[in-house]
Amino acid sequence: MSRLDVTNISKTFGGVRAVDNLSFSVDASSIVGIIGPNGAGKTTVFNLVTGVYEADSGQILLNGRDLRGLPQHEITRSGVARTFQNIRLFKGLSVLENVMTAADPHSTYNILDVLTLSRRKRQREKQVKELSRDFLNIVGLSHLENEKPENLPYGLQRKLEIARALATNPKVLLLDEPAAGLNPSEVRDFIDLVQRLHSDYKFSILVIEHRMEVIMTLCSHIYVLTFGKLLASGTPSEIQNNKEVLEAYIGEEDASCCI
Amino acid sequence: MDYIISILTFSGITLVGVLGAYLVTGLTGLFSFGQAAFLAVGAYSSAVLVTNYGVSFPVAVVIAMLLGLIAGLIVGVPTVRLRRDYISLVTFGFGEAIIAILNNSANLTGGAMGLSGIPQYTTFPVVLISVAVCLTIVVSYKYSKYGRQCLALRSDELAAKSMGINVNRLKLTTFLLASVITSYAGVLFAFYTSYVEPGAFGWVVSAEWLIIVFVGGINSLTGTVISALLLTSLPELLRFASEWRIFIYCAIVLVIINYRPTGIFGEYEFSWRSLKRIAARGGKAV
Amino acid sequence: MLIIQQLINGISLGSVYALIAVGFALVFNILKFSNFSHGGLMTLTAYMGYMGALFFMPYIGSIPLFCATILTAAAAGGITAIGVERLAFRRLRRNNSPLIYYFISSITMGILMENLVTIFASSNFYSYPKFFQSSVITVVGLNIAVSDFLMLFFSSAALGLLLWVLYRTKIGLAIRALSFDVNTASLMGMDSNRVVLATFIASGVLGGISGVFLGINYTLYPQLGQLIVKGFVASVIGGLGSISGAMIGAVLLGVVEVFLISFVGAGLAPAFVFIIMLAFLLVRPRGIAGVIVQEKA
Repeated sequence: MSRLDVTNISKTFGGVRAVDNLSFSVDASSIVGIIGPNGAGKTTVFNLVTGVYEADSGQILLNGRDLRGLPQHEITRSGVARTFQNIRLFKGLSVLENVMTAADPHSTYNILDVLTLSRRKRQREKQVKELSRDFLNIVGLSHLENEKPENLPYGLQRKLEIARALATNPKVLLLDEPAAGLNPSEVRDFIDLVQRLHSDYKFSILVIEHRMEVIMTLCSHIYVLTFGKLLASGTPSEIQNNKEVLEAYIGEEDASCCI
Repeated sequence: MDYIISILTFSGITLVGVLGAYLVTGLTGLFSFGQAAFLAVGAYSSAVLVTNYGVSFPVAVVIAMLLGLIAGLIVGVPTVRLRRDYISLVTFGFGEAIIAILNNSANLTGGAMGLSGIPQYTTFPVVLISVAVCLTIVVSYKYSKYGRQCLALRSDELAAKSMGINVNRLKLTTFLLASVITSYAGVLFAFYTSYVEPGAFGWVVSAEWLIIVFVGGINSLTGTVISALLLTSLPELLRFASEWRIFIYCAIVLVIINYRPTGIFGEYEFSWRSLKRIAARGGKAV
Repeated sequence: MLIIQQLINGISLGSVYALIAVGFALVFNILKFSNFSHGGLMTLTAYMGYMGALFFMPYIGSIPLFCATILTAAAAGGITAIGVERLAFRRLRRNNSPLIYYFISSITMGILMENLVTIFASSNFYSYPKFFQSSVITVVGLNIAVSDFLMLFFSSAALGLLLWVLYRTKIGLAIRALSFDVNTASLMGMDSNRVVLATFIASGVLGGISGVFLGINYTLYPQLGQLIVKGFVASVIGGLGSISGAMIGAVLLGVVEVFLISFVGAGLAPAFVFIIMLAFLLVRPRGIAGVIVQEKA
């Protein structure tokens, strides 16, 4: 299935302890949120899980297998996919090719097939194209398959990132501020898309977001981070009523302000 | 007519070598400054085998390409791990090292005096077929998982890794393919000019190839092909300018790079589909 | 004794390499690319220095002539660098072109400059006039060639001057700021064009001086600029992105090369230098003093 268990991970950069003894888990087929003020270390956590940085200590278990120390591409092939806070699409490739690229690591034909123009290669290429077209269809980008990704409007670029992540055949999908820069109707659209994907594919989803609408609607469980440490953990309603969380975000209540 | 054939033959040989540069620099974004070294490996090994040891030509070709592959491994394995900036310097160093070795192995390679008396097996038909085959291979590579992933890692290496692409292995595979193709170009070269000397394989040649790829447009294989043909014949066309011709050549390139940096062909890519479309439209007009 | 002699030769050679490496590193720090035209500039300025020497020779001799030659080359280097920046790189900066285009432009510019020399001076070899009466001075039983001694002296002086400019003047501060982030620096009000120009001038001045020294060491020929590869190697060993690293790397390279030549001869030395550089990079990819920039996701 798709269980992610992160235990006591830490990461220090120079003198800064970006992530401090953090533990959390994502149950199979669930949607979990990570929230916290800016600089709390949320994206660093993603980077640790996906292998961009190696955690100084701790364990990152995907269905029992420890991902810590593995190279990025192997972590992805194990089933961890992600989107980026600052969109990182492949320029020089079309929209369709961007998605195909994520499906390519699963293709088994080799260089000899390329040199001999073998049937195996041609068949697989056709397959990958169809597969990628399906993913584009799911996110609603079919009509733009030959466009250049940098020409797409922001909201559609975000959708393309998701389509691309889907093509890696994930067990766990990590979304880093996927709704940033979207207007309210785009946000609702996005929430629908995620719910659809979740019910169709049944993978787990871990979301970093600042838009509470997204977090509260989608997530069954929320972790709150601050200064690299876990501040609180619970269901949406528990978190909404948690005094410490409110303080971290909004600040303490000052009696002198009340009229 | 003979003159044109000889220019075309030489352009064809250059094109095969340039295809190697296209794979490594155009497709994968590795700025290799020492591709000409593989030219030397292919040229010298086949020449020495045939003239000194009487090996048959086809066998010598295969051995030359294998040696090119090995050389590619020696340089490639450490290089692909390096930061982008270092790749140009390391490959440059490799190129110069090869020339130094060639210069100092007089008993085997004739040293700085070079090796002459190589039989002329490279004819225009041979070059034509070689170009067709190599071009087919490169096109097949570009429109495959290899080509796409190369473009991806060229665009954003971190994101490519995150999509499951084994970046180092891919860089090495591309580099090796290029080294084999370039070595083969070296064989063609040696058996065309009948004489090889170390100076013909210096960094200037690698630089010229890179210039060809860029002037044509790194995103366009079509551009590379046409640019190779154009720029190889350009010095000949500029013959009238005698000693100023390299200067003029450089000036032209500088103008193109500065005013049309995406290259003459930019993103344009020739495809059979677009040709059919034009033919269909033309048919309708009638 | 012989070892110390070799060491001194190596350091002296290394100081010349340091000039090349630093001239190269200056541009690398700011524009983040390897300026392959530096070699061509060195060749061009070496010849111009030669013409300066010929010009002044009837009037002055020995040390003053040496200084005049250096100054001529330095000035020529600075002016040529301005031309190079204007012609080969300014438009690319304006268009925000990707790094790779700078490479191509610099290579082409380098070939162009080398070719200019070939056109005007043909492929003949020229040598600088003999500057000094006695070519060797003896100190504590060690022989130092006067030219080596002066090269060490002038290289150190030039590099010292550069460090002073970088760390004690406003323009130096601007250069250092820009090498962190060109865009932010210009947002902070620094005129990036002016600063880049200043960097190129500094690079050109150093290139000019190193051109003269190379010319004295190796005689003048159009391919002199190919010795730029020493500067590259020194920068790589010292760590791309670090001026002090380039200096250290250069001196190391000079010393290693002198010892290598006595073992394997001048012909094979480049091959061994390459192997050493490769090995070094495998062990310490960032070089001696280089900075690793960790990419953030």
